[in-house]
Amino acid sequence: MRMRKARALPRAKVVPEAPPVWRPAVGPDLVPALLVFAATGLLVVGMMLASPSFGSFDQLTAILVTAIFLVVASFGQGLVILLGGIDLSLGVVIGIGGMMVAGLTRGSNDALMSAIPLTLLSCAGIGLINGIGVGLAKLPPFITTLSSGITFFGVALGITAGSSQQPVAPALQTFMNSGWLGLPYPILFTVAFVAAAWLFQNRSAEGRKLYAIGSSPGAARVLGLPVAALTIAAYAISGLCAGLTGILLAGYAASATLDMGSALLMPSIAAVVIGGARVTGGSGPYLGTFAGALFLSTLSTVITALSFSQGLRDIVQGGIILIALLLQSGRLNLRHHRWRWAHHQQGGGLT
Amino acid sequence: MDVAAPPLLAFRSVCKRYGATTALDDVSFELQPAEVCGLLGENGAGKSTLVKVLSGVVAPDTGTIRIDGKPFLPRVIADARARRVSTAFQELSLVPALSVAVNLFLPRPAINRFGLVSTRRIEADAEQVLQQHGVTDISPSALVGDLPLGMRQKVEIVRAFSHRPAVLLLDEPTAALSDRQWLFSLIARALRDRTSILYISHKLDEIRALCSRCVILRNGRKVLDSEVAALSDDAIFSSMAGRSVGEVFVRASTEIRRGAKPVLEVTHLKGSGIDDIGFSVAPGEIVGVAGLEGQGQSRLFKALVGLSPLQTGAIAIEGVTVAIRSPRAARRLGVILVPEERKSEGLFTGLTTMANISLPVINQASRLHLVNQASERRLVETVTPAVKLPERYLRLSISALSGGNQQKAILARALLAGAKCLLLFDPTRGVDVGAKQHIYAMMRGFVRGGGAILFYSTELDELVGLCDRCLVLYRGAIAGELARAELSQDVILALASGHSGGRTRRANPRAHA
Amino acid sequence: MTAASQLAQVRSVAAGGSAAAFVLLCIMTGIYAVHEPSALSAFGISNLLNNTVVLALAASGLTLVVLCGELDLSGPGVMAIGNVVVATTSTGSLGATGNLAAVLAIGAAVGGLNGFLVAYLGLQSLAVSLGSLIVCQGVALLILPAPGGEVTDTIVQAVSGDIRAIPAPALIMAVTAGLWLLLKHSRLGVALYAVGADEPSARLSGLNTRTTKLSAFVMSGIVYAIAGFVLSAEIGSGDPRVSDSFLLFMYAAVAIGGTSLGGGRGGVLGTLVGACILSVLQKMLFALGVADFYTNIFNGVIMILAIFFGQLSAWLARARHRGQG
Repeated sequence: MRMRKARALPRAKVVPEAPPVWRPAVGPDLVPALLVFAATGLLVVGMMLASPSFGSFDQLTAILVTAIFLVVASFGQGLVILLGGIDLSLGVVIGIGGMMVAGLTRGSNDALMSAIPLTLLSCAGIGLINGIGVGLAKLPPFITTLSSGITFFGVALGITAGSSQQPVAPALQTFMNSGWLGLPYPILFTVAFVAAAWLFQNRSAEGRKLYAIGSSPGAARVLGLPVAALTIAAYAISGLCAGLTGILLAGYAASATLDMGSALLMPSIAAVVIGGARVTGGSGPYLGTFAGALFLSTLSTVITALSFSQGLRDIVQGGIILIALLLQSGRLNLRHHRWRWAHHQQGGGLT
Repeated sequence: MDVAAPPLLAFRSVCKRYGATTALDDVSFELQPAEVCGLLGENGAGKSTLVKVLSGVVAPDTGTIRIDGKPFLPRVIADARARRVSTAFQELSLVPALSVAVNLFLPRPAINRFGLVSTRRIEADAEQVLQQHGVTDISPSALVGDLPLGMRQKVEIVRAFSHRPAVLLLDEPTAALSDRQWLFSLIARALRDRTSILYISHKLDEIRALCSRCVILRNGRKVLDSEVAALSDDAIFSSMAGRSVGEVFVRASTEIRRGAKPVLEVTHLKGSGIDDIGFSVAPGEIVGVAGLEGQGQSRLFKALVGLSPLQTGAIAIEGVTVAIRSPRAARRLGVILVPEERKSEGLFTGLTTMANISLPVINQASRLHLVNQASERRLVETVTPAVKLPERYLRLSISALSGGNQQKAILARALLAGAKCLLLFDPTRGVDVGAKQHIYAMMRGFVRGGGAILFYSTELDELVGLCDRCLVLYRGAIAGELARAELSQDVILALASGHSGGRTRRANPRAHA
Repeated sequence: MTAASQLAQVRSVAAGGSAAAFVLLCIMTGIYAVHEPSALSAFGISNLLNNTVVLALAASGLTLVVLCGELDLSGPGVMAIGNVVVATTSTGSLGATGNLAAVLAIGAAVGGLNGFLVAYLGLQSLAVSLGSLIVCQGVALLILPAPGGEVTDTIVQAVSGDIRAIPAPALIMAVTAGLWLLLKHSRLGVALYAVGADEPSARLSGLNTRTTKLSAFVMSGIVYAIAGFVLSAEIGSGDPRVSDSFLLFMYAAVAIGGTSLGGGRGGVLGTLVGACILSVLQKMLFALGVADFYTNIFNGVIMILAIFFGQLSAWLARARHRGQG
């Protein structure tokens, strides 16, 4: 669209208005993310004090390596939540991604170059179907993604008869278990991924539009934003990320099962929520999602190191979500009293 | 009136702030028993906040309220009702999914001996209540959501009266009513019952007919409190607006470009709520649209950007017939709607002001899809002078701005998106006086540059003061088209109420906005 | 009668889609009966009801929360705790009624916590109930880390046997329907619908939206607990993860039955029909000879279609309303 120059108008005297309210140096939207990072740090430091062997370089890098799965998965989930939706098929798609890449390569590297794109495309395709259901047919995201998860689980079950797939292509296994210049490949991958994710969500034009649609769907409609197209795209990306997570998991575990992703579904939602995003959409910087994912992965490792039973793990995880929600709401009230209106800095510059 | 007796309601030094905006600034007034006091003020002067404070919807920051000498601090509606304060809200407080009968008796519908709400009983009771208040054309079992706006307003009003309150707040009660006499007789009867009424309206004729006293708010402060009879229209108006009538609308010379193709031309438009509408807007022209609630204006504006379906008719932009199927398509043609509901259809509450303005053209400020903040700022600053939006507001969240500044941002966005034809739907609703002036200036500047404006307003003096021509809608069709020379508030009102003087149209009872 | 009130009558008969669901149920039962002759026998119906009652109860509890405009993921968690508590203590000193009371108390407590966080602190219900779901699953695992335990015969008989020749599950569902009708016509019921349909207006009309939502969550917690209790009787032992798969079916039953996921429309009667539809669906697929691992696919697809169908009446109503302005 050609831009039209605004008409030149005589400059009039600016009428003095009420001065804007004092703004803190860091956008208040980032505060939850920073707090979560701090909590992660405290967790690690606490563990190091409790058991000195915990603080070794290997141990710390191991934590970061295992964080990759949740980081990748929660980005896609975060985009969908940003629009006010949810992706409950994530767990199944992760399993499908892993099974597919393992099944297509069958333990050799030959087919890897085609297996990976094929897997990613298929998983994005599942996301696309979700997106069409939610964006075009206007079905409720909760049920749509839950049902499509079940459906595709059934399809995959039918194809594979439930067996696990192994072995996985060696190159993939090597990637997940070795490194370059002392840093494991997965960590380098995570850094690159986080940078790309942040650029997309908080710095791109499309990301800006996602925030707009999420915060005010009615205004998005009146303005003529491509709501349906962006909705479909967000769900497709979520499917893509889930597929990618599956591929990485398959490489890490050297095998793939259909339900290996189910343990990541709830944490992917939790990571987004803990990071400060509202489930109703329209808010929450990517940094928050990343902080949430990092925190939950670290927590998971710590709990394993402490040999918590599964029951205790669940209680801790669930409790963390509730505490994070309480803290967020407490802070919202605090903000209201001290800083008056919240300054959401989306696209404003400080994120 | 007994001067020595204590006032029924004493409102003292009440303040209420919402973030950067002061809604009520040290407001004090009194209500005597059995009197009707008018409450006047422009949009955004603080009237609805005052109503909310008295009704228990919000709590004031400071100040005291006393009823019958005893402190009154309602935290919820129930508290207010317990002290016999009842409200008919401007934004109706009825639940559309429930029936009239249930709504009338919320929150405590009558229960039978089993503790269950008996539909038959409450409908019978509701029928009685409606009849006692002179309403015979509403069925108690009808769902409120199925009723047209005028009837819903009646139900809201009946509910407020049915509590036989000591203090009754009526907030713009005649906005959708076609029969005002009905309300006036209810008020007369309530006065005989020693009810005091606070009557909020911007219609001077009603205030004069009903109220003995009036209080005028401007920018959150009380600026006048006196007997109505002692005030002239000009005194009232200038207290409300802060300047005299003549100053507000300086009639500029016409900017219309003769001989050029009309920017927008509409012929034989028919759709839901619209019945055979045709008009054109030339470059440089401001065409006004007037009409009471629900006469098709909302449908018309929405249809022009593809948000409301059309059955037949043609739309031509700059002489070229087009089919506008979506707001996106409309925008590409230069037709941009500034909608009625700012909060839900105009603003992106999660974004900053700058992001709100740049959104339609954000791709232009991006390289490789990544937003370049400097380019974005440059783009936005090409339009903010036109609306006089101070640039220090750009970095703030748009929800921190006052209503007037928010509206300016939305207008700036429309300009930046390349508008040739602006469709403004009640753009100065909820906008303070200063911002209104800036908006009028922006409108004139826009048409001076060759743009066209179609502009719906509920403020008749805006229409009279700004428009080159005015279309009056009645029941989905154009009841009349007035040239500038013929424009006056009386003529507009007459046509809008369906009194002929212009073309007569066949009645279309299903037409709603 | 004016046009508007006639419209209201038709609307209430259509009852937000539960009539459509009932028709669907009849059709599917018909298909099922054609392929499986014993379907309509006393045994067949009793068997069907046995399979349905837990889901029917759980989905009914969920309906209460959805009606007032919120979401709730914690149902399966409360059911799990109920199940393991009964399995571990039923042979002990509490006795059957003591067991039931304990389980109800737990359900009310969880519901109360959810309700408090959502209604009084204003937290998002999806996130809160996600957190409490995970916590409840953890508690269930702590109480009973692996499937085991035992449910006394008294309880098993009471819940899945016959009471004077009427199958207990049928009685349970009938009682649920009856209690629902009482609630629907009580002041609290009216409040639930009002808050779900239009919360700001409900508040301006004088309703206490907070206590209404809290009540909805507490009631649903109690009903989930009952579902867990009945579940224990059905499977005869404890399994902390047995309720995991219920979440989808609970929501499907609610949506198929015509309750709007946005609140304010629908009801438990529709949900009960929805739960029956899902049960009959499984039976029907089996009777039609659909292979086991294809049932998932059919479940998913048919669920989406049925939900589409169930929510259709909402769209029709809204479209018609829009046409009237």
